[in-house]
Amino acid sequence: MFELLGTLIQRPNFVVFVILFLWGIYIMAAHPNLVKKLIGLYIVQTSVIFFLVAFSAKDGATVPIILANSGLVDPMLYANPLPHALTVTAIVVQIATLGVSLALVSAIYRRFGSLDEDVILEQLK
Amino acid sequence: MSSNLPVLLFIVPFVMGVSMPLLTANRPSWCPNLTLGAFGIMLLLSIANLRVVLAQGPIEYAFGGWAAPIGIAWLNDSIAAIVVLIISLVSVITQIYGRLDATNTLAKSIPYYTLILIMVSGLVGIIFAADLFNVFVFLEVVALTGYALVGAAGGKALVYAFRYLLLGSFGATLYLLGLAHLYVATGTLNMADLAIRLPELMTSTAVAGGLIYIFLGLSIKMALIPLHSWLPDAYANAPSSIAPLLASTVTKVSLVAWIRIEYSLIAQGVEVSHVPVLVLLEEIGVIAALIGGALALIQTNLKRMFAYGGISHIGLILIGVSLGNTTGFAGGMFYLINDAVMQASLFMIAGALVYYHSAHTLEDLRGVGRQSPWLTGALVVAAVAMVGLPPTGGFFGKWNIILGALEAQHYFAAFAVLASTLLTLAYFLKIFSCWFHQPQQTPSEPLVVSNALRISLGAISISMIALGLMSDTIFQFLIESITNGGV
Repeated sequence: MFELLGTLIQRPNFVVFVILFLWGIYIMAAHPNLVKKLIGLYIVQTSVIFFLVAFSAKDGATVPIILANSGLVDPMLYANPLPHALTVTAIVVQIATLGVSLALVSAIYRRFGSLDEDVILEQLK
Repeated sequence: MSSNLPVLLFIVPFVMGVSMPLLTANRPSWCPNLTLGAFGIMLLLSIANLRVVLAQGPIEYAFGGWAAPIGIAWLNDSIAAIVVLIISLVSVITQIYGRLDATNTLAKSIPYYTLILIMVSGLVGIIFAADLFNVFVFLEVVALTGYALVGAAGGKALVYAFRYLLLGSFGATLYLLGLAHLYVATGTLNMADLAIRLPELMTSTAVAGGLIYIFLGLSIKMALIPLHSWLPDAYANAPSSIAPLLASTVTKVSLVAWIRIEYSLIAQGVEVSHVPVLVLLEEIGVIAALIGGALALIQTNLKRMFAYGGISHIGLILIGVSLGNTTGFAGGMFYLINDAVMQASLFMIAGALVYYHSAHTLEDLRGVGRQSPWLTGALVVAAVAMVGLPPTGGFFGKWNIILGALEAQHYFAAFAVLASTLLTLAYFLKIFSCWFHQPQQTPSEPLVVSNALRISLGAISISMIALGLMSDTIFQFLIESITNGGV
């Protein structure tokens, strides 16, 4: 038990990721309001992006641009660019998803006059 | 030229999709023809691509000349070539079928065609990508256009599209999480590179967790039971003109992405804490095949019944590719190709039934058989293929999955394939008993169906039988590519 606590305290980023991830899933599953479900989805996606950023963080590292006169490169001095590139792409995907989902939500609101899932499911029957 | 074929296959529908609003701003009637033209070019290119792969073996395409681990690579191997050919074929046929209902407002809308074209380009991307992150991006391209296309029907479909969006995006997020785990453990995202580094790391919880997240994410995308709940409602309410393409390609291509990962990363006999992974996957496939078939049997809505049939076939394919031997793998891949064609055919028939007879449920089907000889013929061919009788491709796929299961001495898997075949037979008997039911009133004149429907139903039925007749060649080709270390 204490060992587990010790490991958790050493990995605050990971704990934050897990909390955000589960929180988002909870909101997606529990809230009947469609926009709140979207917020839940957004939190889940953001938590994964946080995970990507957290593991690629490096103390005292700088931007990975190698100049012609840099000489022999020590990789420890540079941040790893790949996770950041992934993060940017993942954010773009996330925004695209948000755009499509908001379009759907507004269409649902115009059609059913409500954002409450229970009310909408009642009308679907 | 020949080495650029994969990129050309991607660019043709993509560029056409993006430039569609420009080209057709003043003449919306061009849209269907331009879309059909783009798919026609894709079909020709994919035939050329298959010939190139047959002649030269697997080709790796390095973007910008940067070789694999550092740059982004696409792998143009036999499986990619065959699946792309089938996707192009199905796209062409469903696009012809889409002209059935020319009065529909959707048929005149430019964004609708843009979405179809971009979705197909995303499918091509998933199939060729040899890099986990590329697969993620293309999965999302396909998924986003898929949500919009399902929602395009309006009304009820909006709610089901939203549900599909929530689950689909959650699946993609899980996939991204798994990919991040694998990257942390290995420092690479290229599948060939991962295949070298992973075997010694299989005991690591990060790797096992990453693979589980990836599998869960892709399971949502391929509608593997019990993560299938979005599919029946979404596809049953999607516009009739696009449902065949969605049903035949999206889940199957997600499964292809998983098969690539599974085949290159999970070797025979790999165990994660004493659980043999391949056997586990096979059992999941068994469950999906049986439950999917049983759920299909209890449906009364025709489209939902076909959707559950497709879900059960995902299980069958997963059984085949997880048996761990060449026969089963080739059988599973062959069945995947067939399933794409069969699902397109079934949803085309269901859409035509709604259009001509406003028949949604089994009850509405009574007496339809007398009026529509074309639909009857197509349904009989599709039923023969779904149940798995020679000479259709469905038989040879199932036969080889069973042979593979017997070879691996997994008798339960062989039983599951047979049981799901019986379930398929049962629900087609249900359909036919209504179909050929004698109506009370005197039968009306045979219905005149449009040429678009005749051509598309004829082409899809011919391709189902052609796949069966050419099964030997395709099997040889698949087995050769597997033993040569392809995939």
